[in-house]
Amino acid sequence: MKLKSILALAALAAAQLFASSHREAPITALDQKADITDWYAFVDPSHPDHVVLILNVDPFLEPGNGPNYFPFDPGILYEMKIDNNRDGVPDVTFQFRFATEIRAPGVFTGFAGGIAGIPPITALDGPGSEGLNLRQHYTVTMVTKSGTQDLTGNNTLYAIPANVGPRTMPNYDKLRAQGFYKLGNDVQVFAGTVADPFFIDLGAAFDSLNFRNTVGGGVFNQNVIALDDHHNYAPNTLAGFDVNSIVLEVPISMLTSDGKQHPASDAAAVIGSYGTTSRQNTIVLRDLAGMFGPQGSGDFTQIQRLGNPLINELIIGTGSKDKFSTDVPTNDAQFANFVLDPLLAKLFGSLGIPVASPPRNDLLLLVQYQAPICPGCKAADAGPVADLLRLNTGIPPTPFDKAKRLGFLAGDVAGFPNGRRLNDDVVDIAARVVAGILANPSLFNTPIGDGVNTPSAPISPDFPFVAPAYSGRDSSHSGPGQRGCNFSDGLCIGN
Amino acid sequence: MNRAKTTFVPTVFVALAACFAAVGQTQSTPAEISIVKALEKIDQQPDRVANYDSLAMAYARRARETSDVAYYQKAEETLKRAFQLAPDDMDAAKVQTWLLLGRHEFAKALEAGTKLNQKVPDDVVVFGYLADANTELGNYPEAVKAVQWMLNMKPGNIPGLTRAAYQRELHGDISGAIELMKRAHDSTPFQELEDRAWILTQIGHLYLVEGNLKDAELYAKGALDLFKGYHYAQGTLAQVRMEQKRYDEAIALLEARFRTAPHAENLYALGEALERAGRHDEALKAFAQFEPMALLESGITDNANHELIAYYIDFAKQPEKALTVAEQELARRRDVFTLGCHAWALAANGDYAAANVEIRKALALGVKDPRILEHARVIEEHLESSVASAATVPVSAN
Repeated sequence: MKLKSILALAALAAAQLFASSHREAPITALDQKADITDWYAFVDPSHPDHVVLILNVDPFLEPGNGPNYFPFDPGILYEMKIDNNRDGVPDVTFQFRFATEIRAPGVFTGFAGGIAGIPPITALDGPGSEGLNLRQHYTVTMVTKSGTQDLTGNNTLYAIPANVGPRTMPNYDKLRAQGFYKLGNDVQVFAGTVADPFFIDLGAAFDSLNFRNTVGGGVFNQNVIALDDHHNYAPNTLAGFDVNSIVLEVPISMLTSDGKQHPASDAAAVIGSYGTTSRQNTIVLRDLAGMFGPQGSGDFTQIQRLGNPLINELIIGTGSKDKFSTDVPTNDAQFANFVLDPLLAKLFGSLGIPVASPPRNDLLLLVQYQAPICPGCKAADAGPVADLLRLNTGIPPTPFDKAKRLGFLAGDVAGFPNGRRLNDDVVDIAARVVAGILANPSLFNTPIGDGVNTPSAPISPDFPFVAPAYSGRDSSHSGPGQRGCNFSDGLCIGN
Repeated sequence: MNRAKTTFVPTVFVALAACFAAVGQTQSTPAEISIVKALEKIDQQPDRVANYDSLAMAYARRARETSDVAYYQKAEETLKRAFQLAPDDMDAAKVQTWLLLGRHEFAKALEAGTKLNQKVPDDVVVFGYLADANTELGNYPEAVKAVQWMLNMKPGNIPGLTRAAYQRELHGDISGAIELMKRAHDSTPFQELEDRAWILTQIGHLYLVEGNLKDAELYAKGALDLFKGYHYAQGTLAQVRMEQKRYDEAIALLEARFRTAPHAENLYALGEALERAGRHDEALKAFAQFEPMALLESGITDNANHELIAYYIDFAKQPEKALTVAEQELARRRDVFTLGCHAWALAANGDYAAANVEIRKALALGVKDPRILEHARVIEEHLESSVASAATVPVSAN
C-alpha cells in the first residue's frame, strides 16, 4: 500500500502552538486537552458545610470554532486530589472519565438544530436532543484508602456542549441547567464548556511585564483603583474565550480525615488540594511489559497538575516545567529553590519595585501547612514542601457579594491563598506576595497589578458558579487595536 | 468510541446530510485547507521559513489523502526554498525526512532521522520517523523501541498509538492492535475526517486479519462514510467483499480505487479479483497493464515488487523472474513481507528447504498475515510430504 508507512503524523504536526500562560509547560503545550488552566477550591458561601472544587482544562477555546467544538478527551483521566492529613499525599481522589458518542458518524458537524427539519437542541437526551450529534457522558468515582466508590450511580451524566448559537441552541442556559446533577451523598457535579473565569492582561504580562501606563505600568495608583473589585482597567486576554470545566461540590465531611467538620483553629480543618490530568501508559508489545519501565500498560502517567495558581507559570524555571508537571507534590523539595529565590522577584527588583531578599521563607506558606491558613498547625504539622492549594474549611465563607478580589491581602480570609475562589485576583495577589508583602507588609507593600480585576463573564453565586459558555455566533473578542474596545484613552473599560 | 451506547438518529441526520451534501462535496479537505493557509502566509511573509515548512507538510499530507505522489514533488520544491532561507532549519529537515519515508527511501530516511534524533533527542515526531524506517527495513526491535519512546515521552499521542498498533499487528497481537487503534480514533479531533477515516480503515483491516468480516465491513464502510471515495477504505472493503465472494462489488471498489490511486499494486489487486471472479479475459488485460507498470518502478524504492513477485508466481508462471525480483528487493529491506515474498519465490523455484528457513524468519516475529500463513502452510506441507515420500521410498525399495 503506497504511503502506508506514513501514519497519522499530520494530527500531531498540525497542532500549532500559540503561546499563553494557559499553556505553560512545554509538554502540556503539545497536549492542549490535558492542559489544566486553573484549579479552584473554596467553601460554598451558600452552603458553608460544602466545598466546591473546580478543574478547568483546555485553554483558549474560541466559542465559534466548529464543527467539533470542545469535547473532553476520553483518553484523559481527570482527577481532583485532596490531602487531609498534611503529608502531601492524596487521601481522597475524585476521578472523571468521559466517553464520546457520535450519533451520526457520517455527518461532519457535531451540533445542528433549527435546520433541515432538525429541531433546535433543547435537551441533552430524548426529544430535543436530535441535533446533538457529538454527545459526551461521564462518570464520577471517589477513591480513598478504604476503596473505590462510584458516585455516578444510575445517572447518565451528560457533559454540556459549547454554546453553538441561538438557532442551534435557542435557550442555552436552560439546556445547560439540565447538566447540573445532584448525586447521592449530597454531591453535585457539572462538566462542560464555560466562559473562562480567569482574568489577566496576558499580553502585557508576557511582554516583559509591560503593563499599561494608564494603570500605573504595573504599579497601581492606589487611590483610584486598588480596591476596585468590579471593573477592569486593562484588557482581559481571556475575555470571550471558553474553557472546559468540571465542577464538584461535596460535603466537607467527605474530605476531612475523620469525616467531620472542624473549627478553623483545628489543624484537621485544613485540606491541601490539586487537580491532575493523566493519560494511560502504553506498552507497545504487551508481552514485553516491564522491559521499558516499571509501569505496565493500563497505568496512568500524569501529564499535568495544578495546585496554587501561577506556580508553574511564574515560579518554576522553563527547564523544569515538564518535570514539575509530571511529578507528585511530595517531591517538590527539588523545586524549593525556585520558591525561596524566585526569578520574578528579581524582575520586579529590576523595575525598581522593593522586594524581599532571599531566602523567601515567607513563601513557604504556599507550599506547607502553616499559619495563617492553618493556625492550628504546629511545626511538626507543616508536612513536606508540596504545591497544594490549602483550604481551611473551618474559616466561614465570605458572602458572595462581599468577597474581596485581593482575598487575604484585603482582609477577606476566605479568599486566596486560603483556597481560591473564582473572583480572587490571583495575578495581583501572587505578584504582591512574590514581592514580599507577607515578609514585611510595611516594606513590600507595592500595589502591583495588571489592571484586570474581575472575570469578563459574571460569576454566579450558585452552583456551578462558572458562567455559561459564550455564544459561538454572537460573541467576539475586544482588546487593544480591536473593534469593540474603547482603547483610545488607553483603557478598555467594560470589556 | 462507545459503541454500546451509540444511539443513531438516522432520520434527522439523513436530512442534515442532505442539507449539507452540496457543502460536503465542495468542502475542502484538511490538507487542502492547510495548503491554502500556508500559501496565504507565504504571500504575506515570503521570507519566513516556517511558512514553507507548513506548505511542504500540507503537500505531503495531501499526498496521503489522494495517493498522488505528485504532491511529494511539490513538497520537495517547497522545501528547497525553505533550505535556501535557513539551511539548518529543523522543521524543514523533519519534513524532508517524512518525504523520504513517503517515497519509500527507508534507508535514507533512517539515516536522516538518526541525525535529527541526535540533534534533538526529545522530539516525539523524529522517533516516529525512526520507527517507520526501521519497521520497513525489518529492524523490528529498533522500531519497537522508538515507538515506546514516543509513548513514554508523550503518553497517548495519536501517532504513537497508531504506530504501536502496527507493531502489535506485526507481532501477531491483533486484538491489542485494535484496542490501540480505537484509542487513537477516540482521541482524534472530530473534524480530522481523513485521519479518522484512515484509523477506521486500519481497524477494519485488523478485523479482516482476525477473520471478523462483520466488523471489518462495519469499519471500512464507516471510513467511506466519513471520507467519500477514500482509496484505502475501498481497498479494505474490497477485501471483505472478496472473502464474502461478492466479487462484482469487490471489483467495482477496486476499479474505483485504481481510478483514484492509479498505482501498479492497486492494479494487481484488481487483476487478482477479476481472476478469482472468473473474469479471466479482463484479468489478463489488467495484468498486461500491470506488468510493465510494475517493471518500470521495480528498480526504484517506491515499487510494487511484492505484487510483481506474486504475479510472476501465481499468474504468469515465471518463477525465476519472481526470484530475481525478490532477491533485488531483499537487498533493500528485510521486513516480514519481503521475507515472505522471497520464501514464496524460493518455493516456486523448487527450493522448499530454503523457503522454509526464510518464511520461518517472518513467522518468528508472530505476524498473522493470511497470505504469509498460507504460504508457510503450503511450504510446510510440501516438505512433510517430501519427507514422507523419502521415508517410504526405502521401504518400497525393500
